[in-house]
Amino acid sequence: MSEGLVLAGASYRYAGASKPTLRSVDLRLDSGRVVGVVGPNESGKSTLCLVVAGLAPGVIGGRLEGSVGLDGIELNAMRSPDLAQQCGLLFQNSATQLSNMTATVFEEVAFGPCNLKLPPVEVIEVWWALRTVGLEKLASRDPVRLSGGQGQLVALASVLALRPRYLVLDEPTSELDPAGTKLVTEALERIVRETGAGILLVEHKTDVLARIADEVLVLDHGTVALSGPAATVLADPRLAELGVEPPAGVRLERAAKASGLEWSAELAEAVG
Amino acid sequence: MTPERPTATSPVVAEAEEAHLPEFVRRIPVGPYRALNPVTKATLAVVAAILAFGVRGWTGPAVVLVVVVSCAWTAGVLRRMAPFALATLPLVASILVVNTFLYPGAHDTIAKLGPLSPTWTGATTALQATLRVVAFGFSAALFALTTPVDDLLVELERRGLGRRGAFVVGSALGAVPSTLERAREVADAQRARGMETEGGLWRRFRGLVPLIGPVLFGALAEVEERTMALEARAFTAPGRRTILRALPDSGRQRAARWLLFVGSVVAVVVTLATPVRLP
Amino acid sequence: MITQGPAAVISNALVPSVEFEAVSFAYPDGTRALEEVSLRIEPGESVAVVGQNGSGKSTLVRHLNGLLRPTAGRVMLDGLDIRGLHVARLAERVGLAFQNPDRQLFAGRVATEVAFGPRNLGLSGPALDERVGAALADVGLDGEAVSNPYDLGYSRRKLLALASVLAMRTPILVLDEPTTGQDARGVGRVRDVVAGAVAEGRTVIAISHDMRFVAECFDRVVVMRAGRVVLDGTPELVFGESAWPELRAADLEPPRAAVAGARLGLGSTPTDAALVAELVAAGRR
Repeated sequence: MSEGLVLAGASYRYAGASKPTLRSVDLRLDSGRVVGVVGPNESGKSTLCLVVAGLAPGVIGGRLEGSVGLDGIELNAMRSPDLAQQCGLLFQNSATQLSNMTATVFEEVAFGPCNLKLPPVEVIEVWWALRTVGLEKLASRDPVRLSGGQGQLVALASVLALRPRYLVLDEPTSELDPAGTKLVTEALERIVRETGAGILLVEHKTDVLARIADEVLVLDHGTVALSGPAATVLADPRLAELGVEPPAGVRLERAAKASGLEWSAELAEAVG
Repeated sequence: MTPERPTATSPVVAEAEEAHLPEFVRRIPVGPYRALNPVTKATLAVVAAILAFGVRGWTGPAVVLVVVVSCAWTAGVLRRMAPFALATLPLVASILVVNTFLYPGAHDTIAKLGPLSPTWTGATTALQATLRVVAFGFSAALFALTTPVDDLLVELERRGLGRRGAFVVGSALGAVPSTLERAREVADAQRARGMETEGGLWRRFRGLVPLIGPVLFGALAEVEERTMALEARAFTAPGRRTILRALPDSGRQRAARWLLFVGSVVAVVVTLATPVRLP
Repeated sequence: MITQGPAAVISNALVPSVEFEAVSFAYPDGTRALEEVSLRIEPGESVAVVGQNGSGKSTLVRHLNGLLRPTAGRVMLDGLDIRGLHVARLAERVGLAFQNPDRQLFAGRVATEVAFGPRNLGLSGPALDERVGAALADVGLDGEAVSNPYDLGYSRRKLLALASVLAMRTPILVLDEPTTGQDARGVGRVRDVVAGAVAEGRTVIAISHDMRFVAECFDRVVVMRAGRVVLDGTPELVFGESAWPELRAADLEPPRAAVAGARLGLGSTPTDAALVAELVAAGRR
């Protein structure tokens, strides 16, 4: 098998479920690339995140067929702490990702490295994670008392502190206000630029994906219905019937053309 | 890094300084009483309890009370002890009433109040019991007010508690405010749909299902996600995790802890088992 | 007070006006959430309340059904102070759909959940069944009446929570973040519900982060910042270029159509349709 995080024909069924939630999914996540995943709710996006991060079946059980591997090694052959250093996972709700065992943001972000028994002189390096997501000024605050967007940044930094090569994010901005969404999106851009991590990003907000994704996958009932470069997939006319709202640029272009207007470069630039 | 028992020179403290951990992480407490190691403060509380309840006579609890109050004054928490003092009032009141009026076998009545005959023996016993309760209550309060939970957990973990112990305490403490908040939101949502919160007992009882259900389900549903988040941060890695904070300890404190503990046990045994009597 | 027939148009005479008169609110711990907010909403208006988290939007709408009471000022329905009325009584006139469905769903069956609200309002028998059926149809869950709510995905649970409030047929409908976490189909359903309620003459008030949803579905936008109303007007006004500094100070961005329209010098175009209309009018074939 080759480099990168690769799913080949992966099918997954939850323990006790009658039908598989994911069916024969092929996916490839490379360093420095952002792969976006869209699809209606219940299409298997969250399950895909758990499988890519190795938590399914590893932690939650269930049955996996096909292969999920990282640089040629099957994920379920890896132990949880090693996996955590290869692939980090983030959920929607920032509050449930706090350990509840730390009194400051700094210690929360240092939680992972401390769990790995790194000595204090190495743990101190988590400052880079705080800087990358933009949290240095909040390092002394109580993690429980932060806003939703700031809380997601803490969760992001605390996963980043383990220096994973890949990051999986399951709708990280869905519970955030526009300011919080902006914080998280900008942090993700910095992460890709500065660490070269490969990111799998599940998002409803196709505008965010239009901005930062290199590739986009559309999931439908557990299978990959469309995949390809972000610009192509997000402009695909089949998105609507697959239950996905295209980004603003695509929408406006379609509306203009439907009214007989010519879509000039000037218009395209104005829409952004 | 080896999880050494902190000694007089506290290598763990030195290590934390060497790593240039920021001050808000190190959080070494200052002040004559507060700067004591949490285990020392815990020992003092235990010793206080032993002396307050175990030693016959007035001396034990009186000494404890005097010492505790002066420590509280030194640590600057005397005023904040007031709510704890108030909390002991119901118990104190019932002890006083029960013993003064109903002490079995006492005949030295103070006065005859109708069918009731309060006795001096009863009153004296009550006062002594009250003194014991108050002394104990104050010593527990002193400990709680001068020792942040995090400090105690750090020390316990250094002495072998293990990361799961910290997890249990942390989750329990975190669960309370989050459950309360969830319960409040659930109650709001159900009231907004017309659920009555006033009314007869049966009505209120029926109203529990729409309240308890979502609170419970929500808490349980979160468990899986919390577990996965911990796994994703290598919480289940084997062995002793790195503890960033280090609280100073000293040989003198260690010696004092042993002395006080042994001394208090001896004092109890002496006053109970020998003819030696203290006032 | 409300007709029980299906989708009957409610006359404005039955829909109360809402008024906040210099309402201030501070939480028990001292946090000030509303500062002398004065606002009047006429019967049948559709109003979107926007602002970042902490601006006071949720606090404001919770005053409408008495979940919160002002620490200063008055909240009035049809000119009468609601101070003395219990939340359960106000629920007859103000239906509030919360953001998180999982902090509300408790029944074993979808239909039972939807029946909870109207049952509390005194309905039973065939009238109750009709209400439940109509509400489920409005959100597209008619086939799921006997399903367990937790067998539905998050999107549909959120629609279920909405249905349970719709079934109460209140003249004022308040929605707290109805599109957050919804997929495209869910958002479409929510838009249909809002449009339907507005067509029936109800007052619809919604909190939202989705500026496009706001611009396209509501006649009036109220922008809040730090407990105060900083902008209040039509989408054209609030998302027009002259209001952008105030919007940005409130940590909000105008919809993309508005930005594009401004860049092309076309005046205020808060919606896709407005932008296209202006482009056509400007004579670009």
